[in-house]
Amino acid sequence: MAADAQQTPQQQLDEQLRSFEAALPDVADEPGLYELQVRFLGKNGAVTKLRRLMGKVPPSERKELGKAFNRVKQAMETHLATRAGELAAAARERDLARRVDLTFIPDPPRPGTLHPITQTRRELERVFRRLGFDVADGPHVEAELYSFDKLNILPDHPARDMQDTFFIERPTHLDHADAPALVLRPHTSPVQARTMLQHGAPVRIVAPGTTFRRDDDATHSPMFHQIEGLYVDRNVTMADLKATLYAFVEAFFGRGLGVRFRPSYFPFVEPGAEFDMQCPFCFDGQLSHGCGLCKQSGWIELGGSGMVHPAVFEHCGIDSSVYTGWAFGFGIDRMAMLRHGIPHLRHNFEGDLRVLEQFTSP
Amino acid sequence: MLISCTWLSELLGRPIDLSPVGEANDPFWAQNIAERLTSLGLEVEGIAYFELPKVIVGRVDAVSAHPDPKATKLNLVELFDGQASVQVVCGASNLPPVGGKVAFAPVGTTLPDGLELSARELRGVASHGMICSEAELDIGGDADGILVLPIDWEPGAELQDLVPGIRDAVIEISVTPNRPDALGHLGVARDLALALGCELQPPKLRSVADAPELPELVEVPASDRCPRYLGYALEGCTVGEAPLWLRTRLHRVGLRALNNVVDITNFVLMEVGQPMHAFDRARLAGERVVVRMAKPSEPITILDGSELELSTDDLVIADAESPQALAGVMGGAGSMVEAGTDRLLLEVAFFEPLAIRRSARRHGQHTDSSHRFERQVDYDAQLELAAGRALALLHDLCGATCVGRCDVRGPLPERAQIELDPAHVGRLLGMDVGPDEVARILSGLGVELDRSTEGAWLCHPPSYRPDLDRDVDLIEEVMRHHGLDDLPARHSVSPEQRVMLPEDPKRGLADALTDGLRARGLHEHVGLAFVAEALIAPVAAEFEPSQLVRPVNPMRSQQACMRPHLLPGLLDAVTYNHAHHARALALFEVGRIYRWPLSQPELQPSATSEVDPFLPDEPYRAAAIRVGQSQSKTGEVARALTDDLLACLARVGLHAQARPQAEPCAWLHPGIQAGLWIGPTRVGVVGELHPDVVAARDLSELELGYGELWLEALPQPPVVQFEDIARFPATTRDLSLDLDQRVSSHEVVAALAGAAASALSSGDDPPQLANADDPRQPIVLLEDYRGEGVEPGRHALLLRLNYRARSRSVTDAEVTAVHDAVVAGALATLAAIDPAARVR
Ligand SMILES: [Zn+2]
Repeated sequence: MAADAQQTPQQQLDEQLRSFEAALPDVADEPGLYELQVRFLGKNGAVTKLRRLMGKVPPSERKELGKAFNRVKQAMETHLATRAGELAAAARERDLARRVDLTFIPDPPRPGTLHPITQTRRELERVFRRLGFDVADGPHVEAELYSFDKLNILPDHPARDMQDTFFIERPTHLDHADAPALVLRPHTSPVQARTMLQHGAPVRIVAPGTTFRRDDDATHSPMFHQIEGLYVDRNVTMADLKATLYAFVEAFFGRGLGVRFRPSYFPFVEPGAEFDMQCPFCFDGQLSHGCGLCKQSGWIELGGSGMVHPAVFEHCGIDSSVYTGWAFGFGIDRMAMLRHGIPHLRHNFEGDLRVLEQFTSP
Repeated sequence: MLISCTWLSELLGRPIDLSPVGEANDPFWAQNIAERLTSLGLEVEGIAYFELPKVIVGRVDAVSAHPDPKATKLNLVELFDGQASVQVVCGASNLPPVGGKVAFAPVGTTLPDGLELSARELRGVASHGMICSEAELDIGGDADGILVLPIDWEPGAELQDLVPGIRDAVIEISVTPNRPDALGHLGVARDLALALGCELQPPKLRSVADAPELPELVEVPASDRCPRYLGYALEGCTVGEAPLWLRTRLHRVGLRALNNVVDITNFVLMEVGQPMHAFDRARLAGERVVVRMAKPSEPITILDGSELELSTDDLVIADAESPQALAGVMGGAGSMVEAGTDRLLLEVAFFEPLAIRRSARRHGQHTDSSHRFERQVDYDAQLELAAGRALALLHDLCGATCVGRCDVRGPLPERAQIELDPAHVGRLLGMDVGPDEVARILSGLGVELDRSTEGAWLCHPPSYRPDLDRDVDLIEEVMRHHGLDDLPARHSVSPEQRVMLPEDPKRGLADALTDGLRARGLHEHVGLAFVAEALIAPVAAEFEPSQLVRPVNPMRSQQACMRPHLLPGLLDAVTYNHAHHARALALFEVGRIYRWPLSQPELQPSATSEVDPFLPDEPYRAAAIRVGQSQSKTGEVARALTDDLLACLARVGLHAQARPQAEPCAWLHPGIQAGLWIGPTRVGVVGELHPDVVAARDLSELELGYGELWLEALPQPPVVQFEDIARFPATTRDLSLDLDQRVSSHEVVAALAGAAASALSSGDDPPQLANADDPRQPIVLLEDYRGEGVEPGRHALLLRLNYRARSRSVTDAEVTAVHDAVVAGALATLAAIDPAARVR
């Protein structure tokens, strides 16, 4: 290189700086920048090589050359840093310029569903657990003893008819002199008897479950679901029953709906009362003004309730002179139908996908 | 039970507003009476209003034939309506002679069926209104002829002003079985009188105390079944039509008028709630009755004409020869009262309730009479009152006089004596009810109180309230009448510590599996617990036929058994859906199945051990079914379902494996099924449904996967114990094996794991099979390949093995040596099933 021979080291340094500056704008990315840095400032870089000339210049010029060398190196480093900043900003811009349509989901996963009766039963359990109730259950095939006798439903009561209750015969291979007569439980009340027999008092349970009656028409299915509540303790009153039902209605329907009692008769309670709640579907915050669902009455009949009959206590080994208690019961299926606006009972047990898949709530 | 407000108003001595629109705060408006009844526990089902404006008494002034010779049945009637003469065309055959009175609906009247009368022409002659029948006026059931009125009624008077009960409000109440007293207007009025603060007006009675005793009239050998029998011999009776007011009254409460004697017994039945029966005494052999048990197979023809064969458990009212009535249920045809009867034997009795119930049920004759006797009528004052009421009406309306009487008594029920602590009323209800209020209500209901004693009162309920037996029954009466509107809502405070009851862990598990299957995109189905026996056939090998739980009285053959398996119900749902749409289907059900145990289980001592060992098993099952949508059957549905069930178990902390079935399940495809195992326990089964099972349901075009978990076999998930974090990287080796298609990946993995266990046991911290991504899966299944490059009948299984040492990095050479040993060991094991097994 003839020209080099004629150039002073300082001129050569400037030449390198110009060449660096010329290359800089073409650098497009981080690796390119690094490459450029190595080319000029690396171990074998052009500038580093020139620095090695230091030893060959006379001592008087060394200082000047050292200055020039540092000036060029610094200039290059500043350029590199600036360019690195520009590149990072550009990369960020490019990143921010990306566009993806998240509203396009070609095959969304379809959730499974829980049966409305399961949803309602669970919600009822949740509410009553919060109110301090344990959840109990019992066998579906149950002794007449617990389904009726213990509950003060005497042998001549119509509910014990072949017309109304399913009876179960034990097979011959299990013949046993002590075997009790069996039925498909027509209500969840045998759980009351079982719980009192097994655990005595005090006791506070709800018993949701499957029940069976010989009814099959537009508004009755031979299999249905009930929930039963029982609270036995000292000082338990009808006022407590009312307080509990208020709390339940509030928690389940989430609004200050009223509850009212109408005197009625059930063999296992005395006094007995049916209980209604204000219709939640036509409730304006104070009054229910009547709608199709409450047959314009403003009230929805929920179920039966009352103070546990002393005879039931006596049959279940609880001292009726010490303890009082109340019980209530109502249908889960009907509650589920009300809650979800299901018009026909038949939808409950058919397994129609087009019905089931609607109930996506948790 | 239908309650007429007109009737109530007579018994209460107060007018009742019978119009549909009344004063909201008038307690005597029918609507408010109804609400009061509901609040008294006599639940109102509905209320109907009746009125008959504009219908008047018309006098027949002239009758002539219709000019049209073809209209032979029509007459032209000149009617006087009180002011003017009107011409009416009438087709009735029972027109009274000139001067007779008829019910006339002038033009402009709207009849109860909604027809509005206008002037119209009948075969060319104008008719200005209509002469009506009872049925057209809805005051009786007779539609055969026109209603002929008494001759002395004033023309022009409105009919509803002359006959009480034409205008009425009728309330339908449902009477609970504990309230026999409310099965008559008197009992309902008694409740209302107390509630509304008025005096009960006893109906007009006739005393026959001066009539001679006639002991031979009635003999009661079955006195335990008929503890009281009042018999009356009556003479001079004229049987005919009852007066219009009485017929209307019966019509309003749903009864049909027959003749005055029968109508009177029905009237008293509805008024007092006491059934009674009148015999034509002249037609009774020996002119007397014997209350006895029927002889074996003794026949009787009852009033409706049907012949019954009696049993020795049936109580009958017989004459000297044969039964004349099935006691308390229905009279016999042989001695019924009809036109011409002039001597009666009137029966007013108290029968033992349960026996009447059995008779009525045995013969399928549920009558107004048996309904009341079953629930127990009064045996005392009210029985006598009913008799006096009937005697008065028979005297006034039929001219019958009593010529003899008898009163036969047997063992009567004992009247209850109840101790009531008045303070207990408030204690049980949780509200303040003072002793005076308690006393006011109870005595208002006819309970005799002795308040002289300290503390508890001695109470004697009236004999017409057999339901009042204990102190709580009286408290209920107080509650009914005091009302519950001011019952506070107040939580009780108990001095006792409540004990948390143990809960059945299977319920929680069932809920968790339900959530798990739902999370996999399946839909929960709730099926009936019943199943048709024929549909059980595919799964019949799972249990003995004697294990089936059967209702004695199923409603239909499709519900003959309690389900012993969940498959039939889910297949029903698939069939239903397949018939209605063609969409992909994934359903599950978590519920109980029912099976008798094979032998009587041991008696476990418990508070319910008198029952529990004798019940069928009711284990929970979680079953799922998937229907594939692809055209060809791939087995992918069964595989997806296996994945569902394993994931669902993993979700509850249980890590199960699918393993080949040593003994294939008969209702699953023999080549597409697996058992689900947790350690040494099989907890379920999964596979594609057997083609025969699918064909039996006409579903052959569908690929059906089915799997189920047996909750009783599922162990309690262990509490997870911490393990040290793996600090050193794993080295992986991929392995491709060429195997017979019968060799399952489960067997391959087991062989590799077994070989690893023996190959790696030596040395200090040797490389282990271990996977950092999934500690439970040191061997990862990558692909199960069948196709090009693999011989038919064989498959290529691609696996990845992970090796890692606990406390150091492993070298490549080390791993290679170990891996080679593991593969060699595994192949040696697999050779037992597939000698040709090799590395590809
Ligand atoms: Zn409403």
